[in-house]
Amino acid sequence: MKELALHILDVTENSIKAHATEIQIIIKEDIIKDLLTIEIKDNGDGMDEDTLAKVTDPFFTTRTTRKVGLGLSLFKTTALQCNGAFKINSKKGKGTTVVASFQHSHIDRAPMGNMEETIVTLITANKDIEYSYTHFSNNNKFEFNTMEIKKILRNVEITETTVLFWLKEYIKEGLQGVVKK
Amino acid sequence: MRTVKGLISRLDLELVAGEKAIGNDIKSVYIGDLLSWVMSHVKQKDVWITIQTNINVVAVAALGEVSCVIIAEGAEIEEITIKKAEQEDIPLLRSNLSAYDLAVEINKYLELK
Repeated sequence: MKELALHILDVTENSIKAHATEIQIIIKEDIIKDLLTIEIKDNGDGMDEDTLAKVTDPFFTTRTTRKVGLGLSLFKTTALQCNGAFKINSKKGKGTTVVASFQHSHIDRAPMGNMEETIVTLITANKDIEYSYTHFSNNNKFEFNTMEIKKILRNVEITETTVLFWLKEYIKEGLQGVVKK
Repeated sequence: MRTVKGLISRLDLELVAGEKAIGNDIKSVYIGDLLSWVMSHVKQKDVWITIQTNINVVAVAALGEVSCVIIAEGAEIEEITIKKAEQEDIPLLRSNLSAYDLAVEINKYLELK
């Protein structure tokens, strides 16, 4: 995928399908260690060991309409091609954590992409899920979570157009504040 | 009809795997290395030229129902990729030519009277 944000969207959609109610996205950019780490953690159905062993096999999918599923396989390949690593931990009934890391400066590393769009898309996909998004960039940190936003909104739906528009701007500005170009 | 078999002999391609399916006919050419992008743009019966050689290539080729995959510029191919192409009956070919040179030659073959 041309942007890492699209991989994040893809993995998080797996979490939604696995009935997660809380999803955490943690991104760490460390220029000194030359490392970019993306972690997506959910409290969904989780997987047994058999399934876990097969999820990055491109010929495995939970979908029945076709025989190949490439989401995690592509994410893994992308990470490995950028001198990174890829790991999935999962426990049936507990949830799943996907961690991908990349050499930050690797020439083939796709740009981060549009995270504000990704988060808003996820909120729209399922407004009852609590999302948290933390973005570290060296010593700076941007934090966002829907639980807090909903507390402030009280009776206003988080999926109201004006709210979503505001959220997008809020995340965009927040990220600009921590991620140095 | 233009087939993978005809292409192999005309361009002197190395047949790495998927011999059973070299009777596949070919319509056009697609060049791309970003697999997710290829997935949404490659067409049925395309000859797909790439320098990627991981196992996902076979999955994308199967999904896109391409007629064959040509690995350009002599890139080394992982063992698992070869095994899977054999299992999935996807002709996996290799050439020392660049993607551009391959496409030019395939075009000549496709336009033969």
